[in-house]
Amino acid sequence: MIAAAASHALRRPWVARVGVVVLLLCFWEIAARWWVDPMFLSPPSRVIASLPAVFETRGVPAALRVTFWELAVAFALSVAIGLAIGLAVGLQPFVRKSFMPIILLLYGTPQVTILPLFILYFGIGPASKIAFGVSHGFFPIVMTVVAGVQNIKPILLTSARAMGANRWQILRHVVFPHMIPSFFAGMRLAMTGVLLGVLLAELYVSTAGIGHFTTLFTQNFDPTRLLGLIAVLAAMAILLNETVRRAELHFSRWHSE
Amino acid sequence: MTPTGDRREARFASRAVQVTFLIALLVLWYLATTRWRVSPLLLPNPVVVLRDFWSILTTGEFIGDLRVTLTELVSAFGIAASSGLLVGYLISRSQYRIQVFEPLFAGIYSVPIILFLPLYVLLFGLGPASKIALGVTISFFPIALNTIAGFGYVERTLVTAARSMGASDLQLFRYVLLPAALPIILTGMRMGFTVALLSIIGSETIASLAGLGHRIVYLAEGMEMAPMFAYIVFVVAIAAILNTLVSALEARGRRR
Amino acid sequence: MMPDKVAIRISCVSHQFGEEGEARHVRALRDTSLDVARGELICLIGPSGCGKSTLLNILGGLIAPTAGSVEVFGKRVTGPMPRDIAFVFQENALFPWNTVFENVNLGMLFQGVPRAEREGRAKRAIEAVGLKDFAQHYPAQLSGGMRQRAALARALSLETGILLMDEPFGALDEQTRMILGEDLSVLLSRAEKTIVFVTHSLGEATFLADRVAVFSARPGTIKKIIKVDEPHPRRSDFVTSAQFTSIRNELYALLHDEIRKTMAESSVSTAGGHAP
Repeated sequence: MIAAAASHALRRPWVARVGVVVLLLCFWEIAARWWVDPMFLSPPSRVIASLPAVFETRGVPAALRVTFWELAVAFALSVAIGLAIGLAVGLQPFVRKSFMPIILLLYGTPQVTILPLFILYFGIGPASKIAFGVSHGFFPIVMTVVAGVQNIKPILLTSARAMGANRWQILRHVVFPHMIPSFFAGMRLAMTGVLLGVLLAELYVSTAGIGHFTTLFTQNFDPTRLLGLIAVLAAMAILLNETVRRAELHFSRWHSE
Repeated sequence: MTPTGDRREARFASRAVQVTFLIALLVLWYLATTRWRVSPLLLPNPVVVLRDFWSILTTGEFIGDLRVTLTELVSAFGIAASSGLLVGYLISRSQYRIQVFEPLFAGIYSVPIILFLPLYVLLFGLGPASKIALGVTISFFPIALNTIAGFGYVERTLVTAARSMGASDLQLFRYVLLPAALPIILTGMRMGFTVALLSIIGSETIASLAGLGHRIVYLAEGMEMAPMFAYIVFVVAIAAILNTLVSALEARGRRR
Repeated sequence: MMPDKVAIRISCVSHQFGEEGEARHVRALRDTSLDVARGELICLIGPSGCGKSTLLNILGGLIAPTAGSVEVFGKRVTGPMPRDIAFVFQENALFPWNTVFENVNLGMLFQGVPRAEREGRAKRAIEAVGLKDFAQHYPAQLSGGMRQRAALARALSLETGILLMDEPFGALDEQTRMILGEDLSVLLSRAEKTIVFVTHSLGEATFLADRVAVFSARPGTIKKIIKVDEPHPRRSDFVTSAQFTSIRNELYALLHDEIRKTMAESSVSTAGGHAP
């Protein structure tokens, strides 16, 4: 009876997905309790139960706030700088042809090699995290803004010109709205980049952000709190990504139809 | 001038601007360190950097670190590729399994995997094992997802046509599924390689005792700016070479 | 024609793209002259590449002719004249991120209509083309025929004296074209607009035009002008009348050789030679 009901419910994929996750959690629980030294791994039950302890650890809530703030500022700066550069490059074909290859080249290099340089120049405080986040985040915005500006149908520009629009009106009422879906797609990628940059920098060296505590918990062989902290950060990342994704869907309504 | 002539002229002009820009940067760098008295602790003299770069290459002092990094890379990518391909293929065999696992994989991949690094360091220490573990974790997903997409979304009509002509399972795989899926899978492998390389260098920078990433950190902590810059150039060059190679392989595979 | 009855005066206009000797050199128009009277609908018809769309763009000030001049209401045309001329293009020139209403509104914003007037004019124009229930829809949600109606509404709301239409129904199916043609005829009988209408369709030209200007093959010039003496609004039974048939046949006879000439030329140039 139960088997029949179970197999019927399993027909829906999301149920199976939840089942897989539950199975993995059980496996983790068993492994952590009986097979692995508790110095190295902690079962999910203990991690969840100790979450309040993580937050009560002195400095953790403040560190979380600082990290969130670093992410927000880095994202905002990426968007602003990316938009400015993207428009400057995208609107002038000659500038685009000259500088796009250079930008693409920079985008392709492994930025993580210059992480120590960023720390040397911007210090070990939040500034370096924000800077590193921006340097990862503004590239996708430049790319997508340039693409969005470039592929406007010429007939739309001709039409606006014929109706008497001046340069500024064309920019505001034709170029800009056309570019919005690309821009939001770029913002989604920028958020991923900013997360990567800020977290990389945090994990490298941190005094006020959560990187300080990941190092602390690692060095103290405290997997319970480490896993708790990682879970909280993962949740933060998912939240931020989801927010940008929804914004993208909302503003691209006319595009997808 | 002919229109093709116009275009050639325009391309030349853009090239000229690019080259001038890069040369200007180099000149500024040189002037900054020699004439304008920027501290060598902040910005090393480009000539010294070049000299150090040359000496690194000729003395072969990079070999040790390069070997560590490449070993980690090959191990991580090897494990990720074989498991990714296998898992991806098995999942792609059933529409139901695709519906269950594809969103799951995509969801996990959307979290910044770098967060796992402290956990791996706790589990495996500062040695190569933690870097390989992170590399495998990051690299697995694009390969698996692309394998699922490649095999899972082969046009039904192709499969039906082959079956109607009497193709066996093995023949179907070899002559229909594999060629159809290959381009997407190769792209996934290229992406997997690129992120594996990035994650290896990144984890070496953050928590390691050896490898190219570590070398740069070591020099930074010792404030040895010129050799550090030289190594940065070296690593960027190696990464560019590897990525170009892999992209070329991908293109070759796709063209067939 | 008396000067004050002339809406558009085209004087010896020629146009070429590119310089002599360039690969892309094309002589689009050759020595074209025409007077378009106020309130008349004149159709430009001719084989592909004969320069009719080029002429339309020159009339609207979007292109400067290499020779000759155009005067609109006595003023020389040197650039777009949004207060006197409105365009309806063949391609979808509606802004896809705006609703129908917003599109119409935006056109007036560009022209410089004060905000207070825009809403009323937009509503009237949209109603006039029969899209009252679709004013809040996006172009992607509309059929091809409705999109062109919206484009027409935008042009009408600008309340210009002249309307330039470049194969506006070209991308639509035959049935939609027929209906839109009839609706256009009704609309025009109400408002005094001068319209220059480019089309490929013989039937469309005969149905809509007061005069039809037949173009020769490239480089195009006006071969003959045919009058269609039937008052607007024209009803659907006009299409079956003897007058319609005879005019249409005359157009066909005039065009047939020009079309053949154009086909022959294009097969020569694809074979690798240059057209003389």
